[in-house]
Amino acid sequence: MVSNCPTSSIPKWRPLKMFKFVGPWQRLTLGLWLLVGVSLLFVDIEIISLDPWGELLRMGQGLLRPDFFATESLVNALWQTVSFALLGVTLGLLLGSPLALVYRSPLVAGVCAMVRGIHEIFWALLFLQVFGLSPLTGVLAIALPYGATFARVFHDILQQAPGTTRETLPFGCDRLSAYCYGKLGHVLPLMLAYVRYRFECALRSSAVLGFIGMPTLGFYLETAFRQGKYHEGAALLILFVVLIGTIPLWSRRRLLPLYLLAALLTLPKMTGVDLQLVWQFLTFDILPPGIRELLHGQQNLTQGLTRFASWWQRLTFEQALPGVGATLVLAVSALGLTHLLALLGHRFTSMHSRSKYSMPLGQLLLLIMRSMPEYILAFIFMMLCGPSMLPAMLALGLHNGALIAYLLTRQDRLITPSALYQRRSDHYGYEVLPRIYPNLMSLLFYRFEVILRETAIFGVLGIMTLGFYIDSAFSEIRYNNAFYLLLVTALLNVLVDALARQTLAKRLSQGMAVGQVSCVV
Amino acid sequence: MSFAKILPLIFTCLFVPATLAETFTFTAIPDENESQLKTRFNKVAKYLEAELGVEVNYVPVKSYAAAVTAFRNNQVQLAWFGGLSGVQARRLVPGSQAIAQGYEDQYFKSFFIANASTPLEQSSNFPNLNGYTFTFGSKGSTSGRLMPQFYIERNMGKQVKDIFTRIGFSGDHSRTIAQVEAGAYQVGAVNYKVWETAVANGTVDTSKVKVIWETPAYPDYQWTVRADADQRFGDGFTEKLTKALLEMKDPDLLASFPRQSFVEADNADYEPIESVATAIGLLD
Amino acid sequence: MLHIASLSLSYRETRVIDDLDLSIKQGESLAIVGPSGAGKSTLLGYIYQQLKQDAALCSQSQGLVDALSVFHNVYMGALARHSSAYNLLNLAWPMAARREEVARLCAELYLEAPLQKTVSSLSGGQRQRVALARALYQEKPTFIGDESFSALDPVMAQRLLSLVKARHETVIMVLHDSELALKHFDRIIGLSEGKLVLDKPASELDGEQLSHFFDTQMATTQDV
Repeated sequence: MVSNCPTSSIPKWRPLKMFKFVGPWQRLTLGLWLLVGVSLLFVDIEIISLDPWGELLRMGQGLLRPDFFATESLVNALWQTVSFALLGVTLGLLLGSPLALVYRSPLVAGVCAMVRGIHEIFWALLFLQVFGLSPLTGVLAIALPYGATFARVFHDILQQAPGTTRETLPFGCDRLSAYCYGKLGHVLPLMLAYVRYRFECALRSSAVLGFIGMPTLGFYLETAFRQGKYHEGAALLILFVVLIGTIPLWSRRRLLPLYLLAALLTLPKMTGVDLQLVWQFLTFDILPPGIRELLHGQQNLTQGLTRFASWWQRLTFEQALPGVGATLVLAVSALGLTHLLALLGHRFTSMHSRSKYSMPLGQLLLLIMRSMPEYILAFIFMMLCGPSMLPAMLALGLHNGALIAYLLTRQDRLITPSALYQRRSDHYGYEVLPRIYPNLMSLLFYRFEVILRETAIFGVLGIMTLGFYIDSAFSEIRYNNAFYLLLVTALLNVLVDALARQTLAKRLSQGMAVGQVSCVV
Repeated sequence: MSFAKILPLIFTCLFVPATLAETFTFTAIPDENESQLKTRFNKVAKYLEAELGVEVNYVPVKSYAAAVTAFRNNQVQLAWFGGLSGVQARRLVPGSQAIAQGYEDQYFKSFFIANASTPLEQSSNFPNLNGYTFTFGSKGSTSGRLMPQFYIERNMGKQVKDIFTRIGFSGDHSRTIAQVEAGAYQVGAVNYKVWETAVANGTVDTSKVKVIWETPAYPDYQWTVRADADQRFGDGFTEKLTKALLEMKDPDLLASFPRQSFVEADNADYEPIESVATAIGLLD
Repeated sequence: MLHIASLSLSYRETRVIDDLDLSIKQGESLAIVGPSGAGKSTLLGYIYQQLKQDAALCSQSQGLVDALSVFHNVYMGALARHSSAYNLLNLAWPMAARREEVARLCAELYLEAPLQKTVSSLSGGQRQRVALARALYQEKPTFIGDESFSALDPVMAQRLLSLVKARHETVIMVLHDSELALKHFDRIIGLSEGKLVLDKPASELDGEQLSHFFDTQMATTQDV
């Protein structure tokens, strides 16, 4: 080939010139992998399991012969999963929509980031102390973090609404009408699509709340897997995937009021709240030792402060800081893996790659991976490769990678490749990848917050993230430790949220949330 | 958090009538086989209902901590606690008392199990566990966490985090067995009854995992009732309840726990547990 | 009606309108012409700001809400005439009386698309007429339009312009079509680099004199 070209026209290899081609997206990717590289230095990915085959065989047998009749009150568990999700999202909307209007205030944004930073499970554990095993615990545990997310995403979406309509509105038009017709009208479909997508997430959250005692699918799913009853576990898992996969079939907008009414009517019985206990919880249980004695007049100032200082020091240096470190290392490594898997996932399931027949199969795989609670995935990987961070990384990467790939495939319809296009990697790289990449990156960074929060779940499984220490504090009935560690978790999220916003605001012409939502629509 | 003060107020107003009807509620988590909880324990509820003459309700929970919370919040008045969770609960609700324990719980024990790839062998002497990886059961378990940790720290003379290269909490006794069998952890501590059931059912491959040591006996599971039970359900209620538990002879009911029978117990029986928990820093 | 004296306007530190004097009389029809970048839209925006109490603006960006129906997009012209409660109700449940008014207006504009259709599915010409309908529905004495017929064929443009003139006392428009300007407007002003370089009654002008105010390339691309 080269010999055919006149030598004079071969450009000299000048590496410095190459840098001109390293655009903003390439730089962002490089930056991401630099960060991932650093965290990989600290991550614990030792493969330990010597002989997982016996247990895996039992799991496989369970999957081949699922037992749909082993679970008591299965229909109720399915319905309660839907019902908690529905009520949680509705209440979340009621909380989040007005907050979206005042989200510009740094105070509101900060508080929302704190609320979002705490995993539903931990919200539920907190509410459990106040409301007990009441449906209120479960619904609020979904509604609060979801409300905070709605506030942020709706705010971002509203900001992106074009202002061109305003100038054509008649003079003297009142503000509310102008807002509804001129602004909301533009973005309402986007917001509705986002709510629909969050409903799917809420179903997952609702199931996961079963892990701590809500009467949803997770209640039985967790027990079955924990106790090695894989025939029952497989059946529950299949039901859950089917429930999520068939959302478009049963979740019709017209049926929604009906569902809501049914959810309210079939809510498990509320139990009374002992106000004295609530008061004790707020003014004693969650206060640090030393401080609470001080407030209740049991110790003097010096004694109280000394006791508080030693408590704070021990908790901070033995639990909070190591927990923050492990959480960040795990989250960033998982982010790298998510990036890779999302790229691969889209490459092999996009309608612009591969044949028409392998696409549904890939889509099914993505559905299974994104519906399966990370907890179960990590559980399986833990049997395979032992109790390092690797199972958690794989679980987070697979789940989020599949979710992002799935959201990206929904953008495929809008892409019309040129006439020259062939379903090959190189053509894909030229024609499809550049079109989806900005969205991929914005989705990835948006999911980082989610990944950070999800590390909590693996703490419950025994990986020493912040979630591990919080779970320990709850099971040792040390609410003040739990409260302090939750506060640290929340502040970590505020910090990461602020940093991510600053880094991405420069690169993304459209907001992060809009990138996210544009795929969902 | 001001909403947390207002909300309960509203909800108390809304839902107080539901709690006024006096229903006696209890919870129980068996140390093995948590499937079909409601079906199994509703039978126990029915038995108690007949014996006590009040409406009896069973609430399933997922963890010892949840059981303790429900007990403290007066959502349950009676609970089948593990040794440690019982102590925690009785500390939180002053005046509550342990009224009965399982026959087996008078001298309960834990097994230390090891993967066959380790050179550890069964012995009555405490094994040298330095440098191994180790998994406990769930964090709040007496037989899977509290007593094993106590004996390890006492025998090895240092804290667990300085002995093992990796410490896990499998969350459940059958998980502990599976993980040690798979080699995910080299050594683990497990409730002896769960181990014996697993061996009997053939769900564990004893060529891959073996018992290397057993702890001395300690008291474990017990029924604990709230202090205000008599006040709410009538004088002599606690006595009547104790009698009903001790006289529970139906093997079908007892199999849910699973215990061969219940015998008398009181708070003093669990003082060793409390001092052990304090010694390893699980209680203040 | 409006007197502008030595007006200068800047956009991002670039002078767009430079020391411009202009007065507009009530009842006049005024065409603004000039090559692209001459400052026409900026001037028009300024005029609208001065007259907005009595004027309806049909801007180049149209400001259509893609997700809403044709009816709602047109109805937005009447937002100031009704209470916000009525407006909100009408958003959820279009009122029969308003539907009839809008339908009549659309028929006059030869807009055949069904009223319930979302504007995102309309063609360029149809969208422009929806924007025009919104401005007409404001029922203001003055009409201010920025290339409001650019996506329409000349015959349609003439018909609609007549309609606009019939319904408004004063018409001020930026145009890219010299024939339309000469035939239908009383007065034509020309802008070049932010300066007023032409201000004459249309009767004193012909196509030749106006030709350098139109960037033919621009006109064809905007037709697309």
